[in-house]
Amino acid sequence: MPAVQETIDQVRQIDVDQYKYGFETTIEVEKAPKGLSEDIIRFISAKKSEPEWMLEWRLDAYRRWLTMEEPTWARVNYPKIDFNDIYYYAAPKGTTGPKSLDEVDPELLKVYEKLGIPLKEQEMLAGVQKSKIAVDAVFDSVSVVTTFKEELKKAGVIFMSISEAIREYPDLVKKYLGSVVPPTDNYYATLNCAVFTDGSFVYVPKGVRCPMELSTYFRINEKNTGQFERTLIIAEEGAYVSYLEGCTAPQRDENQLHAAVVELVALDEAEIKYSTVQNWYPGDKHGKGGIYNFVTKRGDCRGKNSKISWTQVETGSAITWKYPSCILRGDGSRGEFYSIAVSNGHQQIDSGTKMIHLGKNTSSRIVSKGIAAGVSENTYRGQVSAHRKAENARNFTQCDSLLIGDKCGAHTVPYIEAKNSTAQFEHEATTSKISEDQLFYCLQRGIPTEAAIALIVNGFVKEVIQELPMEFAVEAQKLIGISLEGSVG
Amino acid sequence: MNMQQAIKMTAAETALVDAYTAQIGDLPGDGSVLSVRDTLVHELKTAGLPTRRVESWHYTDLRTLLRAVPAADPSAFADRVDALVTGATVLSVRNGHADVKGNAPEGVTIRSYTDSLLDGSAAAGLAVLGSDDAIGRINGGLVRGGLELSIADGTELEDPLEIQLVQSLGQAHTRFPVSFGANTKATVIERHLSTNSAESLISSVSDIVVGEGADITWIVLQQQGAADTHLGQIRFDLAKDAKLHLFLINAGGKLVRQEIHGKTSGEGADFKLRGINLLGGESHTDVTFTLGHNVPHTTSTEIIRNVVFDRAKGVFQGKILVAKDAQKTDAKMACNTLLLSDDADLSAKPELEIFADDVQCGHGATVADIDHTQLFYLMARGIPENKARGMLVNAFVAEIVEELDDEPLVEALESVISTWLEKHA
Repeated sequence: MPAVQETIDQVRQIDVDQYKYGFETTIEVEKAPKGLSEDIIRFISAKKSEPEWMLEWRLDAYRRWLTMEEPTWARVNYPKIDFNDIYYYAAPKGTTGPKSLDEVDPELLKVYEKLGIPLKEQEMLAGVQKSKIAVDAVFDSVSVVTTFKEELKKAGVIFMSISEAIREYPDLVKKYLGSVVPPTDNYYATLNCAVFTDGSFVYVPKGVRCPMELSTYFRINEKNTGQFERTLIIAEEGAYVSYLEGCTAPQRDENQLHAAVVELVALDEAEIKYSTVQNWYPGDKHGKGGIYNFVTKRGDCRGKNSKISWTQVETGSAITWKYPSCILRGDGSRGEFYSIAVSNGHQQIDSGTKMIHLGKNTSSRIVSKGIAAGVSENTYRGQVSAHRKAENARNFTQCDSLLIGDKCGAHTVPYIEAKNSTAQFEHEATTSKISEDQLFYCLQRGIPTEAAIALIVNGFVKEVIQELPMEFAVEAQKLIGISLEGSVG
Repeated sequence: MNMQQAIKMTAAETALVDAYTAQIGDLPGDGSVLSVRDTLVHELKTAGLPTRRVESWHYTDLRTLLRAVPAADPSAFADRVDALVTGATVLSVRNGHADVKGNAPEGVTIRSYTDSLLDGSAAAGLAVLGSDDAIGRINGGLVRGGLELSIADGTELEDPLEIQLVQSLGQAHTRFPVSFGANTKATVIERHLSTNSAESLISSVSDIVVGEGADITWIVLQQQGAADTHLGQIRFDLAKDAKLHLFLINAGGKLVRQEIHGKTSGEGADFKLRGINLLGGESHTDVTFTLGHNVPHTTSTEIIRNVVFDRAKGVFQGKILVAKDAQKTDAKMACNTLLLSDDADLSAKPELEIFADDVQCGHGATVADIDHTQLFYLMARGIPENKARGMLVNAFVAEIVEELDDEPLVEALESVISTWLEKHA
């Protein structure tokens, strides 16, 4: 069954030529010379006043990266990236790190205002009384401001840019940086290790429930500039944190590179909830321009009964290569992955997750919805594995795809690996799974069949949306209505 | 990966290339066939056997797993065995040598594949399916014999045809191009057996063309020895309204790769794959399947059931491709596994690749132990645990066999399964 009209209209609303965040800000910037070399890395490290060990770490990664080959297994096609034709460091003039809100260039503040990001601490979203949300605003290569820092500090939560953390909490950073995604992990992660410029650092101490949502908003502004952010979140025993990430970029004819690494560490009984609304510039309707998004995100459920959940709404980027994963190391740990990926125009998405079950009684859940329109390609690629000692590992995976038009493609590539007889894995990708019971329930209450189906199917997509914190759900609002009726499996 | 880079050949690679060089004056084929063989062996030499870096061999690193290749022994002798079901016409292939002297049923023409190699008519069919087609490469380079069957339009065979491949030791490389004419109806059993425990390596390619409106059941029953390597490939092409029910049972072998690659070329074509993999010991068994739904209005269902004991490793890779114009495709694939030992291992990769927007495709994969409530139910009725387990495992696979609409055949296959289970459970 083809997609219903309503869905087609909704997907059209977020088509590539409807991109709202494509404005460019003219702001004086300071850039490192184009290209990549040990000198550039030394330059970045010096700009950030990093300790010697950090520079060595970067240089080691760079030397290793030089020996690595670009991966080609993903279902994405793009011209070869000239890594020497990119600026690896660009910062608004005079900004080397976050300042207090009064000191920030008003031009910059305007950018965030335009994007709808609340930077003023007293400001509430859209006039509605909502909970507070702390923001780390990263503009090209630097964090320009981090809000609610003091208030968080009172609760014992450290929330700051990673550059500051390297200086202020070197021991914590040293202990955890690269412990989830090692510098040798993959081509883009290794590149990131060498040249990362900013990102967020979160540390939630033992037993603390982070008093507000934390978020980082990434903006690429400069031309020909790559953004390489690094995020590290640590939840100590019994801690809880919910973190949101948003990203946009101006409309440009050239492709720009974004290669981030995100590491999460959850210790005993800790929980990390990580949400992303990825809205990088997707390129125009002829496939010109757009961000190449090569991201390594991984969470390590290191402690017993820890939990990490990834939620992502992917609508942007020309190319997305991203597999937020969970290593379920601690006994009783749990990983979740909820994703909606919508591709329009010439976008190419190859995204999914990995759930690596190592500990006993670990469980994971994957819900992925892919919607392809235009001439886009949308691939779900996921791995679920239970190792020898992962007794009673449980996984449930559901991935659905929907095609709009006959020029796009939807693909599903799941890898299922079981090495323990007590593991129980279920993977399904089926067409409009409406249960007779649900339908009957609605019909019995006088809801006509069609409306009942719409209701049930929409409820299905909401499974992902409802995992997003309220504050971010606003951005994802337009996706809520998308029905997956006519999904092809 | 740069395939052209010179590699250091493994013992098995060297043995395969040497087997070719040693027989070069003796392998059947005209100029065109020999030139294809040369190319294939050259590719094998330069690319080597596939490693897990080749996506379609992700879970079967042939380069590491195939340690040695037993030398061909032309003097080896293998006995014929009884047909799987009484009344079947047995076409005997022993140690790679096909016997074409038997009586063919009416409407069936049998020709020696060696003759097709000699007159060059086999050359086109020797082409590999892609750069990752290692089986096509090995087989194309070394194939000596096999059978070419053609079933005339309208022929309905009452009794099955059994292509009986018996191997005693050494190597055998065979091919079976089979074409079913329009509106034919037939059951073919492709049976791979070993007569002893000596090590052997066989490669076998069956190339099946099913004509318009034909209704064919093709059974592959692989029962090779515990030391054997089996590299099998089934290719098929379905014409308008053609039906192919492919039934696969793996119940033997040490290193097994069974590939099935097919396409639908005519509207109304229907494909059914049913697979049972009985895996035990230290064996490694890989079933890799691709199906191209290339035209509108075609259907397929695939059900694979794996039972994995001991230290066995099982692999299922399935890929359904729906072409851009293949609207109204209906394809469903399921892979269910009972993992019965903590040292066993199962990997599944059920893929969908869809380019048409008005289709129904689904896939499911499950891995689990025996359902404990079912076990409890049986034990509560006084059935000892061991027996209850056996019953449940048997039921898990037997329900697929029962789909075959041929009583003697169902009985014969069920007995193969229960004999195997008795030995391993």
